[in-house]
Parts: sequence; C-alpha cells; structure tokens
Amino acid sequence: MMRAVWRFLTSLTTYAWVGLGFCLAGAVGSALLGQYPEIFSDMDAEVLAGWFARKGFLAPGPTAWLYGLLLATALLAGNAACCTFERLVQIFRGEVTLRRLLPHVMHLAFLGVVLSHLVSSVYGDKIPGLAVPEGGFVPVGQTGWVLALSRLDVEMAPEGYPREFSAEVALYREMTPVAKGMVRTNEPLFHEGYGVYLKNFGPTPWGARYAVFDANRDPGAVPILVSSVLFTMANLFYLVTSGRKDA
Amino acid sequence: MSQGVAVKIGVPPVNRLFSVHYIGNVIPFTADFPARKDRRTMYGVHIVLFWLSFAAYGAEAGLQLGGISPKSPYRSALFGGLLIHGLFLAVRWMLSGHAPMAGLFESLTVFSFCSAFSAFLLCGTKETMTAWKILSVLVVLPQAGAALIDKRLTPLYPALDTPWFATHVGLSFLGYGLFAAGLALSWSYLRNGGDELYRAAGRSALYGFSAFSAGMVCGGIWAFYAWGSYWIWTPKEIWSVVLWVYFAALTHLKFLPVGGGWPGWGKRLEMKATAAGYFVMLATFLGVSLLLRSSHSF
Repeated sequence: MMRAVWRFLTSLTTYAWVGLGFCLAGAVGSALLGQYPEIFSDMDAEVLAGWFARKGFLAPGPTAWLYGLLLATALLAGNAACCTFERLVQIFRGEVTLRRLLPHVMHLAFLGVVLSHLVSSVYGDKIPGLAVPEGGFVPVGQTGWVLALSRLDVEMAPEGYPREFSAEVALYREMTPVAKGMVRTNEPLFHEGYGVYLKNFGPTPWGARYAVFDANRDPGAVPILVSSVLFTMANLFYLVTSGRKDA
Repeated sequence: MSQGVAVKIGVPPVNRLFSVHYIGNVIPFTADFPARKDRRTMYGVHIVLFWLSFAAYGAEAGLQLGGISPKSPYRSALFGGLLIHGLFLAVRWMLSGHAPMAGLFESLTVFSFCSAFSAFLLCGTKETMTAWKILSVLVVLPQAGAALIDKRLTPLYPALDTPWFATHVGLSFLGYGLFAAGLALSWSYLRNGGDELYRAAGRSALYGFSAFSAGMVCGGIWAFYAWGSYWIWTPKEIWSVVLWVYFAALTHLKFLPVGGGWPGWGKRLEMKATAAGYFVMLATFLGVSLLLRSSHSF
C-alpha cells in the first residue's frame, strides 16, 4: 500500500494528469471569475485563507474550481518533493553532477514558492482603501498605526492623464511618528513588514485633495523572491549545461 | 507624444478618480501626434519602418508558401524584416519614453518580432528551416493584426516607469515567440519527421518555458512594488500559471518512457502537445485580454 502511494507520488504520469487537471481548473475558474462578481470581486481585498473561509463554504459550486486548483497545487508540490527526495538519494549514492542536481534545485525552489505563498495566504494582511484627505489621517486596520497625509503632488499631462504623483506620508503610533517618507507608484513605504502603497487620488466633493492607500503585509514575499531567483538561476544554468544537443 | 509643459496642480482637471490600481484600469488613452517637428519626422519614419517590416515579413511568408526558401537564414526577407522591425521598436521606445509593449498594437508587433527572432534562435539549419513555412505565417499574422489598429503612441504612465515593465513583458513575449517556433517545428516534424526537428521543437518548449518563467518572476517583483501584491486573482494571472504548468509538464513528459503510463505517449504525441502549447499561449495572451474581463491587459 505504502509502496503504491509512493509510486503514485513520484510518478511522472501523476504529474502529467495533475498538471492537466490544474490547467482545466484554472481555465474554468478564469471564466467564472467574471460570471460571479458577487463572489469573486473581493478576492484580492483580503488574504486567500480569510476570503476562502467566508466564500468557499458559502458557494461551493462556483468555487469548486478553486478547490480543484488548491488540490492540484498540493499534489504538484507533493509530487515535486517526493521525486526530488527519491532522486537526490540516488544521485548522492552515485555520481553527483551539477547537471543532475539542477532540476531538483528547481523543484526545491518551486516548493519554496508554494510554501511561501501558503504562508502569505494565511498569515498575510491586506488593508485596502485607506482614503486620507490632505492634512488628515486614518487608522491603519488593527495595526495600531495612524497614517497621515501631509502633501499630495499630482503632475498632470496636458492630455489629462496623471504623469507623476506622490504623497508625503507618516505613520504614527500613539502620537509618535514611527515612519515617514514619500510614496509613489512603484515606490511604497515599508515599515515593520507592511508596505504602504499609493493606489488612487482625487478631489473630495468639497474640493480638497485626497489619496487612497493600501497597506499590505506579505510574510511570504521575500522567501518567494529568493525561491524565484533560485529557480531562475538553476533554470539558466540548466540551459547552459544542457547545450544545444540534448535539450 | 506631446511635449507640452505639464502643469503641477493639486486636483485633476476632470472630476473623477484616476484609478492606477492596474495598468488595464488606467483610462485608455493615446498621446496626440507629436508636437515638435523633429519628433513628428521621427514618428513618421518609425511608421514607415513598421510598414517596411510588415512588407518584408509578408514577402517571406509569400515566398515560403510559394515553395521558395532562402539559402541562408541571414539572406532572407525575414532577416531584413527583423532588422527593420528592431529599428522600428527602438525608435518607438525613444519616442514614447517606455518599452513599446503597452496596449494591443505594441503587444502584437512585439509578439511578431519575438516570433521572427525565434526563427534565428532555433531554426537556423537546413532541416529546421523547413519550419519557416509555418513560422513566417505566424510572424506576419500578428504584424497584420497590428497594422489594422491604432498606432498612436501611448503615454508613459507612472506604473510603466520601471525596468521591471520591460523585463517582465519582454521575457514573456520572448517565451511566446519561442512557443510560436515550437508550433512551426513540431508541425514540420509531424509532416516530415527528422530527429533535428524533434530536438529543436523540444528546445523551443524548454527555452520558451525558461523565458516565460523569468518573465513571471520579473512581473511578480514589479507587481509587489507597484500594487502591493505579487499575485492577484485575474484571468490573466490564472492563465499565466496555466501556461507555465502546461509547459512545465511538457518538459517533464520528455522523460516519460514511450507507452509508459500515458496513453499513446511517444514523440508524435509530444510534438502535438508542443503545437497545442501555442494555442494555450494564444489563449493567455489574446483570449483572456479580448474575451474575459481582466484588469491585467495583454
């Protein structure tokens, strides 16, 4: 029995079928996202675990593809882990070459991405839509911070699109500033694991300016970055060492 | 792009919000015809370059379909078209201030460029050049699509003002181009056989997968800095992972023994799967953007 389970988990055929299942579940899900906006439109407003706990059980039909996607991802990760374990044992018993190791470095990096994403999906935090008028402030979720907007600069092109915009912000905890800086597109303000992102701006009905920020904490982001770079490097080395003959 | 002086103001001139959440949400907008005379001239020159490259690609496709093949890849209309096309993209980059990969026109023309480029990466020998018949058509079709739509410059939106934009989109399109070569090579293999064609088609899947993976990494880094999350649940993101898993599976299945566990598995089915990968890529690139609502454009 255990042998059969191990054979299943290390099999390339398992990988192929599960990969196909992943593709089908993803294709169905991409169509359903737009079909059920009442279910999926707030999917990015909180971490996946929180959203899934609310919506996944309430609407099991339209979210069935997501169950499939999560199951397929878990099986793909299990398949990669078991395959790598089995192969590494074989490799280290025989001839160890970079060429033989690299695919398993890629597997381990893939596992790093999946596990880090899991951590982010459970332990992350998303606080969207913090609208702050210039000179005003708002509390930042349950963090105990207050976000103050000192100045908002908007540079409009004559054609009417925003060419550049930036916000001078500060984070306070109990009247004491703990972080301050300029936030722009592609340049968030980071503090204690949270990033403060400028997402929107506009005029209030009474003409004053305001900006909208998101504050996100993503504990898996750095491990995902490290794993992704590792994957890319291993992939590149694999291409270099494979040459043109046996790819 | 207009060189009019931008004014610093506090309130946008129109009474609505400018959503910058994702590129696709930014109000679709093309800059007016360049105001300065020298830039107007450059703009005109670059449009001429576009049409010349289109003509060269069309000539190559016509010759190939007529049964006439060049003696060398570098003495072909495709090579001439590629050089002119590269010049067109360089001038457009200079004029717009950002990598020419935003919007449908630029996406299609870069896709065409990368498909042409892949011919020289993977189909440079006598045997693999048999794939040029299909590949030259796959090069000219997106360029023809681009020829039909608005070619005005798109402005430099703040979110595009980062090197991650060019690396993310550029590497993704390089992958797409290599997948196009994969379709051409596998098609040629299915018609003519040949070990060299089979290996080149395998390389197209591996190289395309590698380029696309690197593009996804760059996109994740860009998204994290620009929008606060490396992942969002949109059809485009989901299909990108579908495409990644598809080609990851394909590169693994090469190691599956013939008839070993997968019904009918062998070189021919592998080549059919490589060819089908092109259509998974098309669904990711164009199908999602044109048929499904996604805030992530092209």
